[in-house]
Amino acid sequence: MAVENLVKTYPPGIRAVDGISFSVASGEIFGLLGPNGAGKTTTIKMLIGLTKPTSGSLSLFDVDVAKSPQAARRMLSYVPQNISVDGDLSGYENLLIFSKLSYVGREDRKERIAAALQYVGLTARANDLVKHYSGGMMRRLEVAQSLVNRPKVLFLDEPAIGLDPASRRELWESIRQLRKEFGTTIFITTHDMSEADYLCDRVAIMDSGKIVVMGSPSELKESLGGDVVTFRLTQPNKAVALPADMGQLVHQDDSTIKILTHDGQETAPRIVLFLKDQGVGIQSMSIDIPSLDDVFLKYTKKRLEEHGSMAEARAVRRSIARHSR
Amino acid sequence: MTLAERVSSALTIADMEARKIHHDSTELWTRLVQPALWLLIFGEVMNGIRGLSTGNLSYIEFITPGVLAQSVLFVAIFYGINIVWERDVGVLTKLLSTPSPYSSIVIGKALAAGIRGVFQAIMIFGLALIIGVNVRLDPVDVAGVFIAIVVFAMCFSSLSMLLASFLKTRDRMMGIGQLITMPLFFASNAIYPLSLMPAWLQYVSLVNPVSYTVDAMRAMLLTGDYSNLGIDIAAISVSTVLFVSLASLAIKQLLE
Repeated sequence: MAVENLVKTYPPGIRAVDGISFSVASGEIFGLLGPNGAGKTTTIKMLIGLTKPTSGSLSLFDVDVAKSPQAARRMLSYVPQNISVDGDLSGYENLLIFSKLSYVGREDRKERIAAALQYVGLTARANDLVKHYSGGMMRRLEVAQSLVNRPKVLFLDEPAIGLDPASRRELWESIRQLRKEFGTTIFITTHDMSEADYLCDRVAIMDSGKIVVMGSPSELKESLGGDVVTFRLTQPNKAVALPADMGQLVHQDDSTIKILTHDGQETAPRIVLFLKDQGVGIQSMSIDIPSLDDVFLKYTKKRLEEHGSMAEARAVRRSIARHSR
Repeated sequence: MTLAERVSSALTIADMEARKIHHDSTELWTRLVQPALWLLIFGEVMNGIRGLSTGNLSYIEFITPGVLAQSVLFVAIFYGINIVWERDVGVLTKLLSTPSPYSSIVIGKALAAGIRGVFQAIMIFGLALIIGVNVRLDPVDVAGVFIAIVVFAMCFSSLSMLLASFLKTRDRMMGIGQLITMPLFFASNAIYPLSLMPAWLQYVSLVNPVSYTVDAMRAMLLTGDYSNLGIDIAAISVSTVLFVSLASLAIKQLLE
């Protein structure tokens, strides 16, 4: 997959996606990370040809997606953020209909559907209407659709959002399995850093329509260099101006201050003294090696907005509820 | 993209709808109440008056094809609401991201509206027979009526999908549906002959596909007078092809 200088503007001149370029190798799991409204979903929609890019080029196994979306769609499968299986059909029927619409050969269909149902553990519920499934089961059925269609590229838009931790684990395992068995290239958008860290070979962090940094999770973490020192505060405090030689203030809110520094062991005591001087009340302190979360904080200057992600999780749960009506 | 694939996709979409109806057919049954009232109450009452010149036909016979067309029209014109619903729950995104062409998806959905129409027609047919409407039971004519119903349902469900592509919410679709069904119905020969209309309304009914459908069905079902059938078929076909094509082009707007 090759993306070159992709731009999407919405009237009146809002640049939802602002000139991004990247490429994904065959068989790679690639993550596009970013806060809400960074342009992740718009990017995915352009990649599968549901929305036309304003400018720029994108190709999938040498097929120009904007020019021949139909040909591109033969190679891909898409799991949107909201549950997209049909609640008024049984699990089996969902797989059957979508395999036909994706032109899976008649001779392969039956066998693949049975195997996919088995694989996601829905064989016993195959003939129940999907509206009686749980959210996790609906997601697994969507993965099963991809198993039946055997796409070369699978696009997942925030796949684990709104799921409980156990379902999330199961989903991640099925995604990895998919790549292992069929060499599927997988493109994921997420704002869950643990998901990206666990699944992705490479990630690109996107903010306000631009890619701010790209690399493997471990590279990115190492690129920060040094340690992250986190202070829990006794009370909210005004913004702190940290001297440059102590490190970089990457985050401050009412209860925490995070500082990225070269050698945490050595600088932490100096920072404590400095903060005390500034009248900051410290409750506790910890020194950690950087996580993907810290990478994200550094490059987007944004904490993953908890409110935002709660709202999205609620939207997905609503979508599950709508399917279960 | 071969023709076989296009046809297969359309039939798959229609099959998808048929399976949903099979799982839950409540909606279809409730939709029968209204046409039954038209035939049993309105038809019976007006039949007694004998105030309309309906030729050799009794009034109840005269309006049977009209009521048939009206009930199918209702199913079809509100069909866009299903599409909006599918958009809201994410199913449409999934459908449009498959390799199947948009035109096949629209045709499949339109055929699905046709399936619903056929169900209505069978029930109304049965009811008409029970109340003693003298229906011509020639197999070719009956088949012709059912084909007319499928095409008619495809025509107006495509119009509905076309409108849905731009209106995008269920509320607006409810509104526009209410707004256009009654004028379509009254500006047609469904419940009174064209000759009784004021001149301007006769002109309106000339561009109303409902009139042509009712006329074709009336010929096949009751009179056996096929003199206008060619024009009727041409008019319905042209409007169906037009709306299906426009809806196929427009449907991706729903995802924007």
